[in-house]
Amino acid sequence: MELQQHSLLQKRIGIMKTVAWFMILWLVLAYARVQIWKGREMQKLALAQAVKTRTTPAPRGLIFDRNTNKLVDNRRALHLVIQFEDLPRDSGQIEALAAALQTDPDQLKRRVVAIRQAAGNRMLVLQDNLDDASLARAEVLRARFPFLSIEVAPRRVYLGEDLAGHALGYVGEVTPEELAKEPGRYQLGEIIGRTGFEAARNDRLKGVDGQRRILVDYLGREVATYGVQEAKPGRSVYLTLDAGLQTTLKEAFGQVQGAGVVLDLRDGGILALYSSPSYDPNVFLNRLTQDQVGKYWNNPDRPMLNRVTQGRYPPGSTFKLLVAIAALEKGIITPSTTFTCAGHKSFYGRDFRCDAVHGTLNLVQAIAQSCDIYFYELGARLDVDDIYNTAKKYGLTELTGVDLPHEVRSRVPSRAWKREVKKEKWYAGETISVSIGQGANSLTPIALARFYAMIATHGKLLTPHLLYGVRQENSNDIDLYQPPAPRETGLDSGIWATLDEGLYQVVHSGTARESAIPGLTMVGKTGTSQVTSFVDKAHYATLSKKLRDNALFAGYAPRENPQIAFAVVAENAGFGASSAAPIARKLCQYWFIDRMKKPLPPPGAKLPDAFRLDPDQAGEDEPPR
Amino acid sequence: MRERLRFLDSGMLLPMVLMVIMGTLTVYSAGRGTSQSGLWLKQSLWNALAFMVLAGVAAINPMRTFRSALMLYLLGCMSLAAVLVAGHRIGGAQRWLVLGHLTWQPSELMKWLTLLFVAHRLGTRPPRDVTGWDLAGASMLVFFPMLLVLKQPDLGMAISFLPILLLIPLLKGLRARWVIAGLVAVSLLGFFSWRQVLKPYQKQRVMTFLDPAADLQGKGYQINQSRIAIGSGGLFGQGFTSGSQTQLNFLPVKTTDFVFSVWAEERGFLGVLLALGLFGTVIMRILDTARVAKTASETYFCVGAAGIIALHLLVNVGMVIGLLPNKGIVLPFFSAGGSSTLSYFLGLGVVMAVRYRAKMK
Repeated sequence: MELQQHSLLQKRIGIMKTVAWFMILWLVLAYARVQIWKGREMQKLALAQAVKTRTTPAPRGLIFDRNTNKLVDNRRALHLVIQFEDLPRDSGQIEALAAALQTDPDQLKRRVVAIRQAAGNRMLVLQDNLDDASLARAEVLRARFPFLSIEVAPRRVYLGEDLAGHALGYVGEVTPEELAKEPGRYQLGEIIGRTGFEAARNDRLKGVDGQRRILVDYLGREVATYGVQEAKPGRSVYLTLDAGLQTTLKEAFGQVQGAGVVLDLRDGGILALYSSPSYDPNVFLNRLTQDQVGKYWNNPDRPMLNRVTQGRYPPGSTFKLLVAIAALEKGIITPSTTFTCAGHKSFYGRDFRCDAVHGTLNLVQAIAQSCDIYFYELGARLDVDDIYNTAKKYGLTELTGVDLPHEVRSRVPSRAWKREVKKEKWYAGETISVSIGQGANSLTPIALARFYAMIATHGKLLTPHLLYGVRQENSNDIDLYQPPAPRETGLDSGIWATLDEGLYQVVHSGTARESAIPGLTMVGKTGTSQVTSFVDKAHYATLSKKLRDNALFAGYAPRENPQIAFAVVAENAGFGASSAAPIARKLCQYWFIDRMKKPLPPPGAKLPDAFRLDPDQAGEDEPPR
Repeated sequence: MRERLRFLDSGMLLPMVLMVIMGTLTVYSAGRGTSQSGLWLKQSLWNALAFMVLAGVAAINPMRTFRSALMLYLLGCMSLAAVLVAGHRIGGAQRWLVLGHLTWQPSELMKWLTLLFVAHRLGTRPPRDVTGWDLAGASMLVFFPMLLVLKQPDLGMAISFLPILLLIPLLKGLRARWVIAGLVAVSLLGFFSWRQVLKPYQKQRVMTFLDPAADLQGKGYQINQSRIAIGSGGLFGQGFTSGSQTQLNFLPVKTTDFVFSVWAEERGFLGVLLALGLFGTVIMRILDTARVAKTASETYFCVGAAGIIALHLLVNVGMVIGLLPNKGIVLPFFSAGGSSTLSYFLGLGVVMAVRYRAKMK
């Protein structure tokens, strides 16, 4: 090579070396900036995407009856979910997922947005309670949509199925409306009691969710766990219900629609509560199919209505005792006052009829024979506000305070009520109807039972309740629930004796004598309330079922030492004596006789396990394989 | 054995071997618990083979090597054509020839064969007599295989042919009008290729480079994860096989394109300094060899070799930290891959042969 050329090349190679060093220096500075200046920030980012906090839903408290028969259990179920941090942002992805799940893409998008905007890192549940087949399908989906995951969460199992559907209620995800109504009370996606006892005592049943800090890989799959804060399960709760009595009540109703409730006279505990038709709460844990919506929500028989606390029925003759109290307290009659029943009588220019010609009766006989004329006579002598004030005094115009949601208030008419609600003045003739429990009278079965419990206890107004006690956290002892103290109404003992005698005669010699139980003095009053306007009983057979009378029976047992009070309504079943009283008879037969003879029947298929009550084991049944 | 080893230049070989060991360890760490857990072993075998090839090539007189340059260049072009006709397709790109259990990427070797042939052609006459036409012809020799590679498509690999053109400023100096003409040509070419040539995924990469934060889960994901990995390495690193970004698979293509991120995460800034220092040492050694080379062809070859290695270093190490667009380009000595390892050792074997002859006087 020529020297000149050679030195030129040498020079240029020298420049290249310098350029190379500068290049390397540039890289060194760039790395120094990211690794040293921004190192901490990047470490935080790395941790943020690798370490996640997952909420472990706490199992709700188990529910037992008063004899530790398990009514509601938990088991572990698998859900197909999207964890909070994995929620897809790409609308195309959401649409593809919606297509794969065969759901509405817009709805899925709204749910994704709702979860993202809410606090608390909740996951989005796409499919709950996966069975084996849908678990396999979910795994296939997960391969296509890596942001999906499968989460284990506790799930309710209502062991008795439709045994006590209305009493227990069911659980479900909190709705956006509920979230908006009481901000801060619930978290998005929280499972809360939707109705029944589950809703009424949600705060007692729910536990404290746990937290789990986990290490995840880029697909959000859990690689390691550290920092587990265990979920605290809700405490087990005991109901005042007696599974055996409840079963008896349910079976006594059979296909008949109506309601029945039995109260423990010691404290107002509800021993049985059944609304027919009942429902199986397990159904409502899943999204309802169209058929199920029709069957449960759009059914004219209204199976979702808890008839015991939400169904109002004209009380019919069961109301006569209140009218008797009003008349006795007002001094209009004495127990020995007699009226003569000729089968019908005219009041205020209108002819009122009785179902028989009873002749001359005193009050006890009138109650026993359920003579309408006798009480028409009382109605003619009483003002409607007298009846109303008496009803108010004895608790019929207030809510019973039962621990079930959405209780409906019973209605006893008054002048003020008619003026406010109907914008009309009260006509004296209406009082005649009211005095035999017709007209605008409308009582819930639980209020009726409470009224008869009041008579049975010589004037104590109890608060009906389902909560019996809550198991202590670290032992098998039960913290017993202290129901509100009964309210003394000051029922005169003379009046009480007359009523008691009247009710005794109903079953002993009166309308319900066929329902008497040998060796047990069940007492009570029948009632037959018209669903439509008065129709002669001769036409009874031609009436369609819907228009037939409701049958009622309310009372207590045993007479000498009352322990339970009850109210039974059989809808469209005809006479109280022939339809409702036999149900009450079966209740007493079970409670006082059969129960003592044989061991407790289990609710559903599960055997009662009274002696093994470990709270940890209770929720730890094996998941389905 | 000693006879053979005397051809080797320890000043270049030592940093190379160190980097290969570092790279293989990094591949081991990156492959742990994935389908690539055995890749480090495979890479070790390639390394051993590459070392033997290096020793063999270093013993050959460069003049003899240059004599077969034309034939090798033609063979290389044919292999690229073969790839386009019968190549193995992975993920939309047809870049590989499959021979039994081996997959071979001919474009890796073709860089070096092109450099060899171009250096040989330009070196046959005195530098002063090299005309503009000669340079244009040499450029065509570079562009032809580049186009074949672009067709695969493999933009990153095509770009790694460009350092061969460094020979032009080496011979003619850096003239203002050339620079301007080059810039105009590049911008015209850029505009044209944006409209016509670039595939959507390539456009995405450019967009991602311009605004990496725009879509962190989508296109910017790789660079973002890589930056987090590098940054969380800090000064001392997370430790061998302990980088969370690597081990939890947040880092993409971590045994090849993003292998340096693994190194940076697990070994920290000190490890980065070591690696860059070793690269600098190798590049300087090659350029020193270019200075002492006996013939012009040898000088040109060495300058081109230094250019190729420097370009890979710049583009890969700059890319993983977000300084440059995300191009599929490997890092010599670190990234797993038989074709590239073998090709680099082969190319540097020639450089060592040049150095040995120059030292012999």
